[in-house]
Amino acid sequence: MVNCVTAHSLEEALVLRKNHELIPYVGGTDLMIHADEKSKYLFLHKVPEMKQIVEDDDYIRFGASCTFTEIIEHSLSPKILKDACSQIGAPTIRNVGSIGGNIGNGSPKADSALICMVTDSKLRLANSAGERIIPIKDFYLGHKKLDLLPDELIVEILMPKNGLDNYYHKKVGARNALAISRVSFAGIMDIKENKVKNCATAYGAVSDVIIRVNSIDNMLIGKTIEEAKELKDAYLKAFDQAIVPIKGRVGIEYRKDVCMNLLRDFLEINGI
Amino acid sequence: MANEIKFILNGQEQVYDGNLAARLLDVLREKFNLTGTKSGCKEGECGACSVIIDGKLMNSCLIAMGRVDGSTILTIEGYSETERFLALSDAYESVSAVQCGFCTPGMILASESILSSNPHPSEEEVRIGISGNLCRCTGYNSIVKAIGIAAEKGSGLW
Repeated sequence: MVNCVTAHSLEEALVLRKNHELIPYVGGTDLMIHADEKSKYLFLHKVPEMKQIVEDDDYIRFGASCTFTEIIEHSLSPKILKDACSQIGAPTIRNVGSIGGNIGNGSPKADSALICMVTDSKLRLANSAGERIIPIKDFYLGHKKLDLLPDELIVEILMPKNGLDNYYHKKVGARNALAISRVSFAGIMDIKENKVKNCATAYGAVSDVIIRVNSIDNMLIGKTIEEAKELKDAYLKAFDQAIVPIKGRVGIEYRKDVCMNLLRDFLEINGI
Repeated sequence: MANEIKFILNGQEQVYDGNLAARLLDVLREKFNLTGTKSGCKEGECGACSVIIDGKLMNSCLIAMGRVDGSTILTIEGYSETERFLALSDAYESVSAVQCGFCTPGMILASESILSSNPHPSEEEVRIGISGNLCRCTGYNSIVKAIGIAAEKGSGLW
């Protein structure tokens, strides 16, 4: 009896996914921690569409099976994403683990998913009937709950090309390497001619899903630095209410304090 | 849907028709008797099971056999027949960078991985390169020193 299959094209992968109960296997660094020889894997590392990093007019498109090392070494990858991927695990993990797996795993601690959230990236999902492109924020429905049909695969991650240069990223872990985020924060502040063109923040490892509240960040968009300063208290208060940590290895108060400290630091560095 | 895969292991082509969900680590140790690849944590934390697959350092505990179809795998047994290994072995010996020895096969392959992509690494680059390989004896300084010595004395090998 066949328990595992390797797909060589996206079409083949989607037919296999539809007709068999298989676990999509890209990097495997999360799956294999609980290795079970009875597992039925659909190996996706030979699907060309999922291996490439290309650009179009608006997006850099990362194939779901691209490893963190491939992303770090690729000239098209935005610096914010390289920065976050460089802090994942260690070389042994980065050489194998994939961005698609990091997102599909559904963990709020996923370090590359944090960057996809703060950049309002989109996911290209496909099944044998067709495909759909959704904002990554809509993909996460709750703790390990994903908007992914049983016959669908994450094919690509579409990250906006522009406006990501002025970023702030901090991963708070218990050690430098092989660390799981205790709190992670990413912020983007795009300022043109003294006006906030874009402000985006995301908070990882805090709640069931990575927190991204566009409506609060929008308070500062379109404002001058002076106007943003006047709104700062209201903005911080809104996030203070919106960030509701859950208890994990570290306490709720600690997580909340770190989030708010990093948010303040992010504003201050940008003159707000 | 043939369940047979092929790969190059330490320079020799191998055909494998076993379970594709099995860990590479277990297959290396149990089927091929390559016990130089150590079984430590089995969750990608310790690096004792490190091997080089298609030129990249990986934890063999986190690789399912189906993933290595068509790959080239180098374990410490294959590597120990190279001139580069001798340069690293001499350097490790010269500064007592081996104590209990459990991390050493993985650490040597991590050293190879660093030097093959960067023949003259800085101390910082060496420390990042071995950051997935834990050693509970040496405190790392002697290992970092050994890799620096190998880079210098083995200049031209990498």
